[in-house]
Order: sequence, then structure tokens, then C-alpha cells
Amino acid sequence: MAQSLAVETHGLTKRYSTGVLAVNDLDLRVRTGEVYGFLGPNGAGKTTTLRLLSGLLHPTAGSAIVAGAAPGSPASLARMGAMVETPAFYPYLSGRDNLRVVARYAGLATSRIEPVLKQVDLTDRARHKFKTYSTGMKQRLGVAAALLKGPDLLILDEPTSGLDPQGTIEMRALIKELKQGGRTVLLSSHLLNEVELTCDRVGVIAKGKLVAEGTVGELRARSGGSALLVRAAPLDQARRLLESLLKPEQVRVDGNAFVLSVDPSQAASINRRLVSDGIDVSELRLSEQSLEDLFLQLTENPPGVTG
Amino acid sequence: MIASYRAETLKARKRWANWILFGILLAWIILLVYLVLFLVVTLQPNSIQGPVPASVLKRRLFPENFVPSVLSAGSSIGAAIMLIFGALSTASEFGWLTVQTILIQKPTRAAVLGGKWLLLGVAALLVSVAMFAAAALASYAAVTLDGSSSAWPAWEVILKGFGALLLQLAVWTTFGAFLGIAFRSAAAAIGGGLTYLFVGEALLGGLLRNTPVVKDVLRFLPGINSDAVNAAFPVTIRDASASTQLVSAGRGVLTLVIYLAVFTLVSLLIFQRRDVGGS
Repeated sequence: MAQSLAVETHGLTKRYSTGVLAVNDLDLRVRTGEVYGFLGPNGAGKTTTLRLLSGLLHPTAGSAIVAGAAPGSPASLARMGAMVETPAFYPYLSGRDNLRVVARYAGLATSRIEPVLKQVDLTDRARHKFKTYSTGMKQRLGVAAALLKGPDLLILDEPTSGLDPQGTIEMRALIKELKQGGRTVLLSSHLLNEVELTCDRVGVIAKGKLVAEGTVGELRARSGGSALLVRAAPLDQARRLLESLLKPEQVRVDGNAFVLSVDPSQAASINRRLVSDGIDVSELRLSEQSLEDLFLQLTENPPGVTG
Repeated sequence: MIASYRAETLKARKRWANWILFGILLAWIILLVYLVLFLVVTLQPNSIQGPVPASVLKRRLFPENFVPSVLSAGSSIGAAIMLIFGALSTASEFGWLTVQTILIQKPTRAAVLGGKWLLLGVAALLVSVAMFAAAALASYAAVTLDGSSSAWPAWEVILKGFGALLLQLAVWTTFGAFLGIAFRSAAAAIGGGLTYLFVGEALLGGLLRNTPVVKDVLRFLPGINSDAVNAAFPVTIRDASASTQLVSAGRGVLTLVIYLAVFTLVSLLIFQRRDVGGS
């Protein structure tokens, strides 16, 4: 049975009047009820994509369905909440009054305001002016505004941007909490551990194109999966031996250790050979390719993307 | 649109800059249009140089002339204040990026702009009422303090004058709002608008008023048409110099209504089509 989609794009493209191609033929599918991480380096096209999905930008080509309707249409907007780029509010109004303004635009009862303020832990500061808020408080007010409609789809653009470590932990916990009740969360980030910790599936975007999609585990497996980490001395002697045993591109020096791109089942034979040649092996273990490595591999030389 | 209007009223009501602007406008009318002139013609009548003696000039401050007085203030300081108000109300949304916060709520862009325009219209109406009330009170105070007598204009004249003021304030407010949307910058919108109002149109209208080619252009400018409308409400201490107006009052009203419609439609077109954010 086909899984229902909260967000679906076909060939979505945005070229700005300056000539910059920010989003290039993007096909994105976010399933209902999942937390989807939209991952990419700065300038990859994440925010432009989210603006397109929110109806703030008009696409140059392609189409999208967001929460069951065209982006920016009242039917779509009624079912989605979004915080795109920076939380933008009226500096001379209090946090609570800013939410009253948002509620009025959305045609909502103001009775929704206090519960969302409580949910983002801003009740105590709600009477203070927005311009006095810290970055973390501004982010939380942005999330509160996005939650005001009780949306089925929540779009959050770099929600932990500018937060201190404690604020980041709290925001992640909030995002996990927001998933409860079948809500779909589309989260953009350039922080790898963030999506790893919060997202069910990840889409990696580079130069405006989706270059990989899947769970973090699937992406790791696709890119070659595991490697062996070997710590041995003397370093030069160990390097010469390993390069003679394996292809040079399979041996990478990482500090005072080696990362070997080989099948883990070769661990015993490699260890035996090193020891028999008088090399001391102090550590030999499975080293999963870090998400950082995978990210760099996908975004620095993305498959099917030129220029 | 009503939902957007309700949001706009909350924002406008709590913005101190708006109250300061309207305070300046009322203070200008009471202090500069009435009090200063009253003190000069009362305490130092000999300092008045010109063909009209101080005792006659004083009648300009009396109730019989409060309609032309308030219209005169409306087409100068009133126009400037409302232009700034309109520009702030739209350009600030781009400066603070709140335009994107608004547009990802439920209403369409047309409804958002409709709500904003409705607020600007209501503000122009309230400011017109306040200006008329302030001028009427000040003129009543002047005639009472002077111990003279002066008749109030006919209701018909007052109503027509009120309509003329409201139309002019609405045009300048809409002009400011249009500039705010076009430039997306409060400084550019206010700077450009005031430069046009006080330098462009005033210079052209004052210095080159009788130059044939320029005269044809001037006939289409909002300030010149406002002056023509105001000339239909002459002060009682001198004859109306209708012949100096480039267009008739009726043509002036029609031109101002067209400006109101054009500024509104062009603003809507820009707002509907424009991308919000990105480069």
C-alpha cells in the first residue's frame, strides 16, 4: 500500500533573477508522520526549498503538493506551520502579542496561545518585548508560532541555529515531542548529529539537487559502510606493510592510527601479519564511517551534479 | 481580509511611532497653525508686514475659516505624516522580515494587503476626524479669547471639506504604503516620498508653474490636484484666486481618486507576484 505523503515535489526548480540556480529539479517525498531531515551545507538550497514549500517563493519550474494542496494556498497553509530561516516578529510587541497577531492572521482563537507558550517554555517571558529576547527565546517563539495552528505538517528551518548547548538539547527534545500524534516534521539542518539524533529519514541536498535519501543507516551502507581502525607502532613500518598488503587507497592515516577500507572479516589476518613482522598493535576495531565523512562525500562530489 | 485587518489594528495600536506621528500632526495644527499666529497678531500686531492688517488676518483663525485652515495643514504636514505612516506600515514588514511570518499564516496575499489597506483607510478617517476636531476647538478658543464673533461654516461645507481632507490623506497614505512595498525599505520609501512631496512637486509647482510644457505635466500631479480641491474652500479674508489653479476642483477630486486606485492596484500586483526572501 502506498504511504501517504505530507510533501511531494516534482522537478521543483528555482532560479533567482540574479541567475543563481538555487534548487535544481528537486524530487522530494516526505511521508506522513515522519521526522524528515533535510540536510545540506550552507548554500545548498535548503532554505529556498522550504520557502518554495511555504509559498513565499514562486517556482521557476516543477510543482509541489504540501499538506494536500498547492504551496501557499489557504488550504495548504491551514494545515502547516513553519519557521523559515530566522524567527521574524515585531520587535515592539511582547511575545504574547506577537502570537496574538499571528493568531489573528490565521483566524484562530487566542485560547491557543497559552498552551503553545507553555509547550515551548516561554510563559514567564511572554509579556516581555520580542526585541529583548535571546536567540534561544526567539527560536522558541518561532516554534510556538508554527505550532499555533496545531498543524499536521511542521516545517522548521535550522531550529537549533544560534542556540547554546543546553538550548540545543531542549530544542531536540521538543522536536521529538512534536512528532507525537502523527505530526510530520520537515527539519532542515547543516548539522549532521542533529538529524541523526532527531530524524527518521534524511534527504541530502547539494547544489540544489537531492543527492541521497534514506535512513542514516541506509546512507552509511550505500557509501561503503564500515572500515577497520588500527593503532600500531612503529607508524612508518606499519604503513609500509599495510600498503603492501592492501591497495594504497584503502589505507588512510588518521592521526596516529590507520583507517582501512576493507571487509571487517580481514581483521584477524591483518593483525596476525602486523604482529609477525614485529609491529605492536595496541588497538584494532571496527570503525563505522562517520556521518561527517558520508556527508562530505555526498556533498563535495555529489553523484549526477556538475558545476 | 477581516482577520488580517484585526491583526493590523493590534500592530498599529501598539506601535509608538504611529502615536508620535499623529501627536506631531495635532500639535502642529494647534501650536503652529493657531497658537503662534494668534499670539503674534494679538500681542505684536505691528510686526505683521503685508497688505492684510493683523486685525483682519486674525479672522483666519476664527471658526468661519477653520475648514480651509485644516485643509491647508492637511496638504502639507498632514500629507507628510500620512506618507510616513503608510511607508512604515508596509516597509517595516520587509525590514523585520515579518512579511514572511504573515504570509505563512492562512490568508491569501490579497487578503493580507486588503487588511492592511483597510487599516490605512480607517487611520486616515480617524486622523481626519482628529484634525477637524483640533482645528474646530482651536478656532473656537481663538474667537472666544479675542471676544469677537464668527459664524461656523454651513454643515454642507464642513462635510465637503472633511471629504476633501480624507481623500487627500488617503492618497498620501496609499502613496507611502506603495513606496514601502516597492522599495522594501522604510528609509528609501520615506526619503523618496518626502523628497517628491517637498522638493519635486513643490519646486515644480512653485517655480515652473507657468512654463507651458511643465504646466501640462503639473496638471496630473497629486499635490497640484490637492491644491485645486482646497481652493474650493476659500478663506473669508481675501478672494479665492481660482484662476491660479491649474485644474478645477472636480477634476482634482477625480485625479486623486484615480491615484488612490492606481497606488492600490500596483501595490497589489507587486505584492502578489514578488518572491519573499532569497536573492
